[in-house]
Amino acid sequence: MADPAEKIEEKKAIPSDDNIVDEGLEKGAAALTEDKIASVINQVIDEETGARLKVYVDTCIHCGLCSEACHYYVSHDKDPQYSPVGKIKQTIWPMLKKKGRVSPEFIKKASQIASTQCNVCKRCAMYCPFGIDIAYMISIVRRICHKLGVTPLYLQDTANSHSVTMNQMWVKEDEWIDTLQWQEEDAREEIPSLRIPLEKEGADIMYSVIAPEPKFLAGLIYQAGIIMNTAGINWTMPATPGWDNSDMAMYSGDNEIMGRLKKSHFETAARLKVKKIVMGECGHAFRSVYDVGNRWLGWKMPPVEVVHAIEFYYDILKAGKIKIKKKYEKPVTLHDPCNVVRGRGLHEKARYVVNAICENFIEMHPNREHNYCCAAGGGVINCGPPFKMTRMTGNRVKADQIRTTGASVVISPCHNCHSGLEDIVHHYELGTEVKFISDILYEVMEKPE
Amino acid sequence: MNTLYQFVAGPLLWIAFALFIGGSLYKVINLILLTQKKEAYLFCFLSWKWSLRSILHWLTPFGPRNMKLHPAMTVVTFIFHICLLLTPVFLLSHLILLEESINISWWALPDQVADIMTLLIIGACIFFLVRRINSPEVRYVTSASDFVLLAIVAAPFVTGFWAYHQWAGYQPAMILHIVTGEIMLVAIPFTRLSHMLFAVFTRAYIGSEFGGVRHAKDW
Amino acid sequence: MKNGILIMFAVLLISVITFATASSQEDVSYIDTSSFGKTVRGMVPFEHDEHNDNAGLEDCNICHHVYEDGIFMEDESSEDQMCSECHDEDSSGDKPPLRTAFHKNCKGCHLESKAGPVMCGSCHEKN
Repeated sequence: MADPAEKIEEKKAIPSDDNIVDEGLEKGAAALTEDKIASVINQVIDEETGARLKVYVDTCIHCGLCSEACHYYVSHDKDPQYSPVGKIKQTIWPMLKKKGRVSPEFIKKASQIASTQCNVCKRCAMYCPFGIDIAYMISIVRRICHKLGVTPLYLQDTANSHSVTMNQMWVKEDEWIDTLQWQEEDAREEIPSLRIPLEKEGADIMYSVIAPEPKFLAGLIYQAGIIMNTAGINWTMPATPGWDNSDMAMYSGDNEIMGRLKKSHFETAARLKVKKIVMGECGHAFRSVYDVGNRWLGWKMPPVEVVHAIEFYYDILKAGKIKIKKKYEKPVTLHDPCNVVRGRGLHEKARYVVNAICENFIEMHPNREHNYCCAAGGGVINCGPPFKMTRMTGNRVKADQIRTTGASVVISPCHNCHSGLEDIVHHYELGTEVKFISDILYEVMEKPE
Repeated sequence: MNTLYQFVAGPLLWIAFALFIGGSLYKVINLILLTQKKEAYLFCFLSWKWSLRSILHWLTPFGPRNMKLHPAMTVVTFIFHICLLLTPVFLLSHLILLEESINISWWALPDQVADIMTLLIIGACIFFLVRRINSPEVRYVTSASDFVLLAIVAAPFVTGFWAYHQWAGYQPAMILHIVTGEIMLVAIPFTRLSHMLFAVFTRAYIGSEFGGVRHAKDW
Repeated sequence: MKNGILIMFAVLLISVITFATASSQEDVSYIDTSSFGKTVRGMVPFEHDEHNDNAGLEDCNICHHVYEDGIFMEDESSEDQMCSECHDEDSSGDKPPLRTAFHKNCKGCHLESKAGPVMCGSCHEKN
């Protein structure tokens, strides 16, 4: 039994999300007036939403049954402020009820809640008895805050990078080409005939990645080169902007930039006359090309078929294009990323792949569609250092989930999840390694001499 | 009392039914037209197959994971909704009045069964009330309107139970029963009780999204 | 405590007396429901002469009516017949079924003349 005084001490030690200061939020809110706020809110509500939002708000019976779905709520000892409907109560309800007449302080708080205390992972949509898409409503809040210029600084900077360079990380065109050629050169030491073909018109596959890969995870491009060459894929990578499939503008509420990014990505694939786009192990990028960005551009489904890495590995393993030398021995568990599991149903294929390359696979619970989010996705990790502890305190349940498996490696086929889980593993001292599928696949596959 | 009865069971009743049916039609048609006007793209994702898959799963007790997480709520909410829909529609007294006034009638529940079902509804309302007050996650999102809605739903059943058993103040109880029933009918399209009309649409949409686009379960 | 018991006894006594005097009256009578297979609600007390005096009813056929081809026969009456001789329990043609016939005959007139009971429990005794 813990001493009550000790308990209070412990509680104090947990940093509160209320004390976080973010320059983007502060400066944005300082420039606002109530009139400006009301006009923007009403403009977004009147012109960008319709019956859907209205019905969602009018139908919600305030039952609180969505609460259990949210990792923030569960991790904060069921603090109702962190329940999905609790976050709606603090954001969109007052905006609608007061017809947009809310204070700059309110907007600042709403932006923080929408951008850093919700990963728009849509787990709650599976828990609401009416199937109300709460993440959609949070996206509307982000959109309003974006139009008011109240977005967390780091997230806004990423959107700015997208706007200027068409990639997330301020990677210049020559740096991009240079990085690919550097990885090609390195990989040729392993497979002398290896190519990373740039601008190959008529290739079967255009391989696209997110900008952090050339920026600081170039080894992943190396691994992709090895996998593609070994499997004998007719592939290419673009040498022009449009190579980056990532999209933080989607999460900052900057739909216009999102549209430009996706257009450039799809048009690059069209220019190269490829049959499909295969993308690296990234979840949000998949959401952007498959779910959100394509619809913004008026496409029901992506205009070019997009295949996530999980599905691609599944296809080549199933077809026997890659042989496994010796399965990975350490016990592994699998984190189901929301955007490719709840977003694309790739959970069974992921399990096929993991079982094909690993000896000892331990399920995490709950799993598949019901897996808890990593707390990094949805743009939250891109809100940067000020909000790191928001992710840590907000996802104790993930640490518990991983710890319970007893696995020494957690496989995370998504960049945001990967980075988020690494932070969680360190913060909660789990000692687990976090790996992409390609890390293990590269290690265990048979490679040509 | 006769004049009052004649008014609440006559013109007021027809007004209530007109508002209920007209209001419901208006709300649903408005939903469809407004979606057509502003978010027509939503229709191209709607599919009968995936809508029904989702609706049927959520009509199955303990089908969805969330129902398993809240067993008491699941049991109570199923009993509540089933009784709430069946009792008024299949109550003998209601059917007799209906037959006398417009000569339409159908199978009726035995009075004893209807009596128990009414008690179950009242019990469920008390459960919802206690849950609303006691569960922090529910209390946090509760406003006065939630208690009013609960009262609107409970009132016709409490007064109906009272009148059926002919306890003290039978006549006023009967008048109250009719009036509160009418209030509830009118409240359905114009308050958050409209989930009775909209739930099928919200479920259909999320079901279609999860089934057709996301290839994932939504339960 | 003692007062409470006293009051309880008083209440009990009064109700017993009321009940006893009520049931001891010779001409207390009920609507004859023997034509129904099984009744659902309680019996309906009905004092024929008292009712007609109060209501000022002279003609028998206001209640004991005769219809031919849907037309009310002003000069005929049916007090020598059971209602069920015309009205079946199951509906048939223009004729209301037995239960509805009873209800319409009583309640219909009460509503029209704005006098007399109209709510279920005002006629039917407690089950």
